[in-house]
Amino acid sequence: MKDFQLLTTRELSAALQYLASGSKVKLLAGGTDLLVDLAQKSHRLAGIDYLLDISQIKELKLIRVRDNRLEIGSLVTHTDLSENPLTRRYFPMLVQAARVIGSTQIRNRGTVGGNINHASPAADLLPPLLALRSEVELTAQGGSRVLPLSQFVTGPYQTCLRPDELLTTLRLPLPSPDYYGSFQRIGRRKAVTIARLSLALVVRVTNGLFQDSRLVPGSATPYPQPLARVEAALNNQAVAMLDLEEMGRLAGEEMVALSGERWSTPYKKPALASLVKKALLAIMEEVAADGKG
Amino acid sequence: MSYCQVNKSLTRVDAYAKVTGQAKFGADLTFPDMLYGKVLRSKYPHARIKGINPEKALEYPGVEAVLTAKDIPNNLFGVIIHNQQVLAERETYYIGDGIAVVAARTREAAEQARELIEVEYEELPGIYRLEEARDEPVKPVHPEMADNQVAHHTLRKGDVKLGFAEAEIILEREYSTQLIEHAYLEPEAVIAVPAQHSTLLTIYGSVQNPYATRRAVAGVLQVPLAQIKVIQDHLGGSFGGKDENVSAMAARAALLALKTGKAVKMVNDRVESMLESYKRHPYQMKYKVGASKEGKILAMEIKAEADSGAYACQTPFVTWRSVVQATGPYEIPHVKTDTYGFYTNNVYTGAMRGYGSPQVIFAQESLLDELARELKIDPVELRLQNIYHNNSITASGQRLDNHQVSLKEVLERALTASEYKAKYREYSQRQPGEKKRGIGLAISYRGCSLGAEAIDAAAANIAILNDGSITLSCGLAENGQGLKTIFSQIAAEILGVDPERINYLPVDTSAVPDSGATVASRSTMVGGNAVKNAAEKLKKTFADFVAREYETTGAELVFRDEQIYNGPGKAVTSFSEAAAAAFYQGVLLNATGWYLSPDISWDEETGSGNPYFTYVYGCQIAEVEVDIGTGEISVLRITAAHDVGRAINPAGVRGQIYGGVMMGLGYGLMEEVETEDGYISNTNFDDYLIPTIKDLPEIIPIIVENPDPNGPFGAKSIGEPTLELAGAAIANAVCQATGKRIRSLPLNLERVLIGSSLRKGGRSK
Amino acid sequence: MEKVKVRLTVNGNSFCLEVGAKERLLDTLREQLRLTGVKEGCSIGECGACTVILNGEAVNSCLVLTGQLDQSEVVTVEGLAQDGRLEPLQQAFIDHHAVQCGFCTPGMLMSAKALLMKDPHPGREQIKTALEGNLCRCTGYQQIIEAIESLTGPERE
Repeated sequence: MKDFQLLTTRELSAALQYLASGSKVKLLAGGTDLLVDLAQKSHRLAGIDYLLDISQIKELKLIRVRDNRLEIGSLVTHTDLSENPLTRRYFPMLVQAARVIGSTQIRNRGTVGGNINHASPAADLLPPLLALRSEVELTAQGGSRVLPLSQFVTGPYQTCLRPDELLTTLRLPLPSPDYYGSFQRIGRRKAVTIARLSLALVVRVTNGLFQDSRLVPGSATPYPQPLARVEAALNNQAVAMLDLEEMGRLAGEEMVALSGERWSTPYKKPALASLVKKALLAIMEEVAADGKG
Repeated sequence: MSYCQVNKSLTRVDAYAKVTGQAKFGADLTFPDMLYGKVLRSKYPHARIKGINPEKALEYPGVEAVLTAKDIPNNLFGVIIHNQQVLAERETYYIGDGIAVVAARTREAAEQARELIEVEYEELPGIYRLEEARDEPVKPVHPEMADNQVAHHTLRKGDVKLGFAEAEIILEREYSTQLIEHAYLEPEAVIAVPAQHSTLLTIYGSVQNPYATRRAVAGVLQVPLAQIKVIQDHLGGSFGGKDENVSAMAARAALLALKTGKAVKMVNDRVESMLESYKRHPYQMKYKVGASKEGKILAMEIKAEADSGAYACQTPFVTWRSVVQATGPYEIPHVKTDTYGFYTNNVYTGAMRGYGSPQVIFAQESLLDELARELKIDPVELRLQNIYHNNSITASGQRLDNHQVSLKEVLERALTASEYKAKYREYSQRQPGEKKRGIGLAISYRGCSLGAEAIDAAAANIAILNDGSITLSCGLAENGQGLKTIFSQIAAEILGVDPERINYLPVDTSAVPDSGATVASRSTMVGGNAVKNAAEKLKKTFADFVAREYETTGAELVFRDEQIYNGPGKAVTSFSEAAAAAFYQGVLLNATGWYLSPDISWDEETGSGNPYFTYVYGCQIAEVEVDIGTGEISVLRITAAHDVGRAINPAGVRGQIYGGVMMGLGYGLMEEVETEDGYISNTNFDDYLIPTIKDLPEIIPIIVENPDPNGPFGAKSIGEPTLELAGAAIANAVCQATGKRIRSLPLNLERVLIGSSLRKGGRSK
Repeated sequence: MEKVKVRLTVNGNSFCLEVGAKERLLDTLREQLRLTGVKEGCSIGECGACTVILNGEAVNSCLVLTGQLDQSEVVTVEGLAQDGRLEPLQQAFIDHHAVQCGFCTPGMLMSAKALLMKDPHPGREQIKTALEGNLCRCTGYQQIIEAIESLTGPERE
């Protein structure tokens, strides 16, 4: 690995300027992925000229509500995300997902932006953020653009972020009270383990019917993406009459359709079915408790 | 008898240094002009080395030496069989084999230079499966050998043909266990310092067995043992795992130190440690059991095969312990056991806490439950019908008549504490939903110390200085298990002093006689007896002096509470005063204690004998919840009852139980070193998973004390028994919960959900 | 390689350091400042042996570049005891046999300390969460939990 220079800045504008310089710049925030790459002499760091430390840019550490959306700065740590009153109030599912990322030490450093940018198939935040229809704001010196997160992540470890852009903010539409969500996860041990499989499910329940379903599994497909066929099958079904087995089976099939038969498929197919059933059951119980079933 | 120091949970003598960060581990030490050594390891599991060109590495700034096998006076070493290479010469036999070592002024320079060493390889086909190693003797891993067999041990009792003929039920089952890593938190570290302490070399570092390492280094360098001094103080966990690999590391550092005339430090990072260090043997086992309808076991036939990997290492002894204990603690008239070890080109396997027991216990305790199910007998009742009692004859023909055989006691105490019977009934009912609970147990007997493997003796030195302070040292090494504290308590008890008076010194191989290895749960028993012997000798000399000096008569002097008494309440003098007086009168208050364990026997021909001089007994009961939708297992509670003879330090015993149970839980549920044609794919803690604090179940430790006539204050062993049972108990509990028997460890998500473990194809680095 | 200048407070002492671009906080502490109580166990943030408190929070010092830390405050295990008086957590670890080999101990102490700084009365689950990133192969964790609970009093509802 060739030597690189470490740059630090506390100003977003300065960071954008570095990015626009044309040099090969790698961003450094919490470092929880990047320093692992460094330790492993990863090809991901090959040929970079500068490591740009953006971890001190305060304006990217905010969580606030604006225009009926929750805005989460990209430098918000997983700890901040899970302890913030706004996220806890509006997006308990996101809190749940943030709390199982790495360990306490990792969550104290790792950032929301890093988790999204890394675009790992197993990224814990991606399934809930996708299910919650998040948008990302990408900023360059010339201005910003806003994209649905589903368009931002383009493949395993791939995004459409341009070299001169910085992921600055994440925006989540605030849910109305008739939305329900559930996050499920399987790991090989009880903590500090990447998701063997995860699932985020968000639905609206109107007149006892599922609407606007969003179902996104993690570690199931090459990169997290919604299972559109299951979503379609779920919409307009009566909460009380749902065939859980059928939904689970469909999810398994759609996963295989998206990722092909892999060495892990014999396990993941039935396990995903189980997670789908668990998520639906959890929501059905909540709906029943609210007297809306 | 009431004790002042033993049988008490005194705090550890090394705890202060460890909670303040003052304790220096191998990697923390530095010496003037110290160089850093790094090893270039093989690119292939099996390859011919056609040429090595170190020129570019030697030119790298800061590099002071590059050595290869041709620079080594004697390249082969080993504790049992001398066939392990310090550096690979003509062939590499596994992926962790070293090829060259570099010493440079900085760690970075050593790492960079290592990459510049040019090696011309010819990749060779290897043997990676046990069956292949066994069945194709035409392709031995070590070309000089006729076949791949490292060891074969037999045990014969009665006539199994007769036994099976009498049996009303016969079960045949196959079980297997996996390759696992010790995962001590401290990666290996060694420093070799030349021309210090009037010796050729002084070795410091994470050395589990200082005398074995001294022997290896002296043997490799072809110098007298007296020229090598090994000093060991704080070591970050070993569990059997810092022996041969650390000896190799010490030999490499020593070679570099002699070459450069400077201190050389070698520290493995975790990946290097995972690649090079030996592991626990994976076993494939065939069990056949015959019993009466009522559940009396009449015959057992066992074949267990171990993958030894590239080197013999401890395989001959590991498989020997297996042959002795493979039936479990059941009195069976007819037994035929064969254990084998075979060479392959996989990472080599050696000693790990348990040492050939967890594998056979998993098989034997699974089998007992399977038999109980077939016979429709309660698993506990089946065991109670067959377990050892006082005067039972073991599978090897040994009469258990010199100690309390407490199997029934440990079993019953664990049953009660775990509420086994009620839970077993409850979980036998139909359970709705995807989460199913179960409870299961496992029991074991375990021979204490080395047994008939080798001479079993240890030494300790104690000196009382003229101000009354005391130094204590022993040839056994603190690995974290707490022997410094145990030995201090034993010495303090006998000398009647506060342990604070004692300064426990690091192991120094030049100062204490060779005490063998810190292995086999032998420290408290064998080392403790050596300390006791030294303290008693000293006390005798001291008492004789006090009696003369203070003209006491009649009653024997009592050493207690820092005083010396001539009858109740009649203090003759204080310990300190008497020590000063003795010094000025020229009395030698310095003693070397020695303990040689009682005679034992083993006849390889007949496969019988008295292999261990005493045994310990344990029972663990696991309660689990299994998600049959995802394959996840939550261990809710483990009850662990262990007879330790006498707990010298009860809190320390509990610590061993908690730690051993958790290591057993990891073995049962999640741990596996994954290999693909000799390449290791999980080389760090991100994908070699060991239990975290969140995996901790409720653990109920139960200390059972039946003092053993051969143990110091009756104490026996606790280190290994705690680890060997949990995997088997969990497997039995999972079977009760799900109705499905899993005969391979670990019980990972895939095995639980779909009955087989999936493996990622292809090679990784 | 260009060095980065960093002002750092470690265990209450201020340092002006020159560090390389790839220098991890772990390296600075162990090699430049000789604070060898900070241990290296895995180098990728999985074992927690190198845990220190950085600006009030537990972090893996193997996953932080020192060059990122200008004006930061770091506490290591060496900074827990004040004027030779042990911090209560250290004493609790001694009293409750929470130490075996001792290699994970400094990291455990720092994670526990960071937790208690945030919340003096955590429940058992919070204690476990705070320590989930600290592997221990010897103790089975139980006596570590007991040591911490001896200081936290009854669980807050």
